[in-house]
Amino acid sequence: MSSSNKHLSRRDFLKVGATALGASAYLAACGPSGGGAATGPDLTSGNSIPLDELTAAAKAEGQLTTIALPHDWANYGEIIETFKSKYGLTINELNPDAGSADELEAIRANKESKGPQAPDVIDIGVAHTATAMADGLVAKYKNANWDTIEMKDPDGYWWAEYYGVLVFEVVKPDIVETPKDWEDLLKPEYKGKVAMAGDVLKSNQSVQTVLASGLARTGGDITKAAEAGLQFWKEMNESGNFIPVIADQGRIAQRETLIVMEWDYLALANRDALAGNPELEIVVPESGVLAGPYAGGISAYAPHPYAARLWWEFVMSDEGQNLYLKGYAHPIRFNDMAKRGVIPQEMLDKLPPAEAYAKAFFPTIAQLTETKAYITENWRKVVFGE
Amino acid sequence: MSAVEKISQPPARKVDWNWLGIAPFFLFAIVFLFLPSLSIFYRSFQANDGSLTFDNIIALFTVRDIINAYKTSLTISLITAVGGAIFGFLLAYAVVLGGLPRGIRTFMSTFSGVASNFAGVPLAFAFIATMGNAGLVTRWIEGIFNISTRELGFSIYNMWGLSIVYMYFQFPLMVLIMAPALDGLRREWREACENLGGNSYHYWRYVAFPILMPSLLGTMILLFGNAFGAYATAYAFSGSFINLVTILIGAQIQGDVLYNPGLGNALALGMIFIMGMCMAGYAWMQQRAARWLR
Repeated sequence: MSSSNKHLSRRDFLKVGATALGASAYLAACGPSGGGAATGPDLTSGNSIPLDELTAAAKAEGQLTTIALPHDWANYGEIIETFKSKYGLTINELNPDAGSADELEAIRANKESKGPQAPDVIDIGVAHTATAMADGLVAKYKNANWDTIEMKDPDGYWWAEYYGVLVFEVVKPDIVETPKDWEDLLKPEYKGKVAMAGDVLKSNQSVQTVLASGLARTGGDITKAAEAGLQFWKEMNESGNFIPVIADQGRIAQRETLIVMEWDYLALANRDALAGNPELEIVVPESGVLAGPYAGGISAYAPHPYAARLWWEFVMSDEGQNLYLKGYAHPIRFNDMAKRGVIPQEMLDKLPPAEAYAKAFFPTIAQLTETKAYITENWRKVVFGE
Repeated sequence: MSAVEKISQPPARKVDWNWLGIAPFFLFAIVFLFLPSLSIFYRSFQANDGSLTFDNIIALFTVRDIINAYKTSLTISLITAVGGAIFGFLLAYAVVLGGLPRGIRTFMSTFSGVASNFAGVPLAFAFIATMGNAGLVTRWIEGIFNISTRELGFSIYNMWGLSIVYMYFQFPLMVLIMAPALDGLRREWREACENLGGNSYHYWRYVAFPILMPSLLGTMILLFGNAFGAYATAYAFSGSFINLVTILIGAQIQGDVLYNPGLGNALALGMIFIMGMCMAGYAWMQQRAARWLR
């Protein structure tokens, strides 16, 4: 931590010193907060910093380095633009297509470097938070809205920002009676009509699909959900309802796969992209509502620690969270915001009813790892009897 | 002494530039075949952290999914190699020696040239669009007989469906290779056979098949390898729901679920071994088949 503080003061020194000459070094080092030992607001406690102090300190840094934020994913394009214009910081965007493991690697590789290749903030799949913490790659920080975040590390090393739930994407009017719950999918009327959006052996989304169906069967008991899920898909396969193809947008448009299980944000984006040809109905199942969250964090070696914290204050605020929702990613503070009525009605109209999301189940990281191993190991044996 | 030197020196001094012509081929083969094969071999014995391990090789013989994948891959390859060979041979025979109008032969060879190269995503999509659940032909049949193929349990997404898809490029390839071989059968041989009192059976048993056998065997190995190594077609067709070795390799080296590159390499090594055995078997059989030529 001390090295990053030293760095900050040196940086401020250079920046302000250039305009106000050497004499202002002391002032600049003391920073806009006007106190502390040459740093600005305290970073070590992990407590939320008042917005005005934080903004001033971040402006002194002038820049934020992000990684792995594609502009068409969860509306990150608009989130980034809004942040820039609101706080007047520049954003240096590293590899937008990086995966979670790449993000952590970028922090690891730049521990000693404070250059433009070192990310300040990360957005990773929750399963990766364990590695991030174990390797000491993330710093703790509890933003102002901490209490209403439904999934987080108690010490503040990471927190979920948004999530998706698995929904049924139903082609209309080909499917007359819309399935409401997982168990409905086994009805004879859906023979040869149900497909997954990926491979169980290759895509996490499909592993979660199996888990969600199991969760519905066990009435929410996650410990038996993996086994029950495999049993469910065995029945799906035996009844002939399950078609073993990967349902992408093309297959859905072609009406080859009439009922598909997918993350809601992808399903809703498909609905917009296909624009009524065919018409899609998006259904959140009545039980087995499984959430797939993404987690945010701050690099423990961040070159711009204040800008990083300001970013999260913005993203986790009502405004930032609503921007996620505009891209159909469910903000983690959705339930709180829906209760307080701060979500614009026209946005809610585009989504499945808010009550459906209240039942969302958030598995822990240990549960995710364990169920994934069980499902992939037994998938072929149980479902296809091979 | 000097005389001996004079005799032995010229060949040593003469620089033969002819090899330059095939250098690009060898370079290509080294870079894209030998080096990758070596790397596959080497990395089959590596664990994910880089240490030496035999677990991957042991897994080839013990893990149920892997054994099943090899079984399925071998079955599909055998079905389509033998099926492709029989139908392709009959078609080539009809075209070459069947007394059809010349135009048909030109048409067939053009079609075969195109079809034998039609594979991968477009081929899979073509079959789904015609014979899938919402396919053109499926819909016609449903309309004519007033039935629902989905409810009857008809599906192309299984091993047999995939075999039919593979056949689409397998048997045109057989036609392409067998047509010139059939051209080589001279009419005089048949006449000679008849003059000696042989009938059609004798002609095929003792004349035509022995001559064609090396090409037949060679093509079947080619068809087998063609199907055995196919990945894009199968993946575009049914994802990893049909358990083939190539698809299992794909799941081991990419994707965010299984990911064990060492095992992926070991699976590939197993495939190389099987293909190597096929080639050796082919060489041996061909030697036997061609023995009378010497």
